[in-house]
Amino acid sequence: MNESLINPFTLSHPTAVQTSLFAGAIFSRFDPTGRFIAAARLDGSAQIWDLETRGTIRTLDGHVKALTSIDWSHHSRYLLTSSKDWNILIWDLASPTNPPLRYNTLRFDAPVHSACFHPKNSQIVLALLSTGELYLCDTRKSHRTRAEILESILEDGEEEDENSGQGRARSPMTAARFDPSGKNIFVGNAAGYVLVFNTRTRIMVGRHKIIGAGSIKSMDFAKSGRRLVTNSSDRTLRQFSLSTYPTPLNETDAVSILETEWDAALKFSDPINRSAWHAMCYSPDGEWLAGGAADPAAHKIHVWDLANGGRLASALDGGREPLIHLHWHPLKSSMASTTNHGNILIWHCPSPERWGAFAGGFEEVDENVEYEEREDEFDIEDEAVISERKRKAEEEEVDIDTLLTGEQISAFDKRRGTQTPGHTGVSTPIGQPSHGDTALGGIDGGMLDLDAAWAEAEPDGDGPGAWKMKIIMDDSQD
Amino acid sequence: MDPLAGMDDSSTDDETASQTTEDDPQIPEQPPVSAPVPIPAPPPLPAAVAASAPPREKPHYSLQHTLRGHTQSISAVKFSPDGRLLASCGAEKVVKIWSPETGEFLRNLTGHTQGLSDVAWSSDSMYLASASDDTTIRIWDIETGMTQKVLKGHTKWVFCLNYNTASNLLVSGGCDGDVRIWNTARGKCMKTLHAHLDYVTAVHFNRDASLIVSCALDGLIRIWNTSDGQCLKTLAEGHDAICQHVQFSPNSKYILSTAHDSAIRLWDYQTNRCLKTYTGHINSKYCISACFSVTGGKWIVAGSEDHKTYIWDLQTREIVQVLEGHTDIVVAVATHPTQNMIATGSIDSDLAIRIWVDPGPRPGG
Repeated sequence: MNESLINPFTLSHPTAVQTSLFAGAIFSRFDPTGRFIAAARLDGSAQIWDLETRGTIRTLDGHVKALTSIDWSHHSRYLLTSSKDWNILIWDLASPTNPPLRYNTLRFDAPVHSACFHPKNSQIVLALLSTGELYLCDTRKSHRTRAEILESILEDGEEEDENSGQGRARSPMTAARFDPSGKNIFVGNAAGYVLVFNTRTRIMVGRHKIIGAGSIKSMDFAKSGRRLVTNSSDRTLRQFSLSTYPTPLNETDAVSILETEWDAALKFSDPINRSAWHAMCYSPDGEWLAGGAADPAAHKIHVWDLANGGRLASALDGGREPLIHLHWHPLKSSMASTTNHGNILIWHCPSPERWGAFAGGFEEVDENVEYEEREDEFDIEDEAVISERKRKAEEEEVDIDTLLTGEQISAFDKRRGTQTPGHTGVSTPIGQPSHGDTALGGIDGGMLDLDAAWAEAEPDGDGPGAWKMKIIMDDSQD
Repeated sequence: MDPLAGMDDSSTDDETASQTTEDDPQIPEQPPVSAPVPIPAPPPLPAAVAASAPPREKPHYSLQHTLRGHTQSISAVKFSPDGRLLASCGAEKVVKIWSPETGEFLRNLTGHTQGLSDVAWSSDSMYLASASDDTTIRIWDIETGMTQKVLKGHTKWVFCLNYNTASNLLVSGGCDGDVRIWNTARGKCMKTLHAHLDYVTAVHFNRDASLIVSCALDGLIRIWNTSDGQCLKTLAEGHDAICQHVQFSPNSKYILSTAHDSAIRLWDYQTNRCLKTYTGHINSKYCISACFSVTGGKWIVAGSEDHKTYIWDLQTREIVQVLEGHTDIVVAVATHPTQNMIATGSIDSDLAIRIWVDPGPRPGG
């Protein structure tokens, strides 16, 4: 709500490094509130930094090998760490201790490549192993399952494509994400396919061949959930607009699999250095896409302007330490990029100091303006009239304690990208064809309920304002 | 310089320096009350509609307890955010902790070497910060009564301070005109804003701690960006209205200021407009604080130099109740975070804290 006061200009992308955290990190992720950043370290520990004080507040030491991924639950209470030591640990940050209590441990038979929470319920975890197997772990009491998610292979050879020569063997999965609503799981595999599964029933509902992509390395969703960007071994980022997938009623429901070839609406690559991408990330409003270049000698972030057809807006230079990871702040025009020396660079959009702010009632103008006198500017008014008008103006009702206005609610929703049916219009990003949005929203609104109700059964105790990060006094003398 | 007369007198320096920013207790109280509500609430519901249904016409506060123990002028009283404790401080170097329910004295927090001007609670009610004329701030562990941190950095008397909602930051204002932002866990100063040219008499974070409002005896109210320390706005009323206390409203949409022209103003800081003016009390010399009361009806509560405490209706700006009992100027006032309870503190010849309670709506209506 103070955005207008703090930044009077339209939200832009970050352009300069604000601060550098000496974290010894291999990658780092903002939490959904943007107050904290979790830094993963090579020794298997993770540290949580408070961005307001720029100090570490928790050290999560539990893994014996390097971390592979970190995820925050929707209101930041739980933190998931996955590691090459075959484990996923889930930490409860509401516990008043440092290190915080371990809430859950999930063990697997292979190093965990990546893992993430369901966006609506942190008791549902998606785990991708380095063997290319994908598991959906549901730790809720009434649902307790650990099920492998498998690509459905058609029995008859009706599918004729260049990969059929590899037989019916399933390609190993290389990237897996929930979409922002949690309704579907998107999986990228080594053969350049994106597979879509319904989360609740684990039935495959979509399969898309990306032409020329090669192995899918990672995926990211715009917060609206309508756009997906993929990073693949051909050093190209591709953006796709997503269609609506059928919702199976139950595990045995036969649904037709949406089987299409995807041709990217927008492709992003580095035409000069042909560098690959370590990471890419949408801005919270979906107007920008940032890509961290895998340049061995420089720290380069490319930012593309999606509202203007994917034009390269700028190539940011973060110094000499090569970039290994990149994450955009969930709410603000800010990014965190991790260097291979372990430093986290926090990027921001610097606003020029406004000296006019120091004098009450003055306004700074960028260039000379011819002053136009108002008709009544120097009229002499009766003091009684003035005080009467002032009295009248003060009759207006004020509201001192209602917390969220409509604008704030939408901001609140955007924070996590939860797509409640009523708000589809609000968070629709610019640059998205507006036609068909309402229709899609309508279908989604009806269908989402079944999946949302399933996901929200047995809530995880991570509601807004349901917990607080306790301040632990740091007694180390320095 | 007339307004400063009380300040310049060395013996009364800190007793007049009362800074009671009572809304610290209110902030933590807010999430449980309002956070679950607004999400299902339809966005078009205008805030005014909710506020325009006052549950009761008038408050009926009556004296519940008189707490005696201070030996020198009281400068601040604050309820803890959980409502179980009341902290008070004054010119005699100690913080006193009371039970507002029973009126019982619980403990002294001793350690400062000079008088105190302000105290502030962390939102978990575990820690209390105190601002002293010995140029330090101390953070106390309320359970043990021990000093957890001594925050050193101010070059002159520390006048006012407040925690942010997360309580990882503390903001303080000093008589050198500086505003400092502290990391509470480490007890280190993170940032110094050369904010004003005169005593900084109040500082306050907004709800998400993105903004700080400060005011000083130079008559200006300034709003600062917490993260980069930039001044975002300056509000100034007439030259006779030297502002001595400011705070954000519980939802951080407005700021409430008290000034030496015997007026309390509610500002819309986005548009620089003064929305409401509350008058009727006397305030021309001392630093008198005002606060919001949102537990029953919506009131503004402030002390006065005529030894009374005034309660105004937030919307109509009428005085709805006057609390009489103190025998000297009421400089400190605080409202309980959840109950209809007001604490007031008075200076030198009275030295009492009085707790006032409104029993709530009568059975008849």
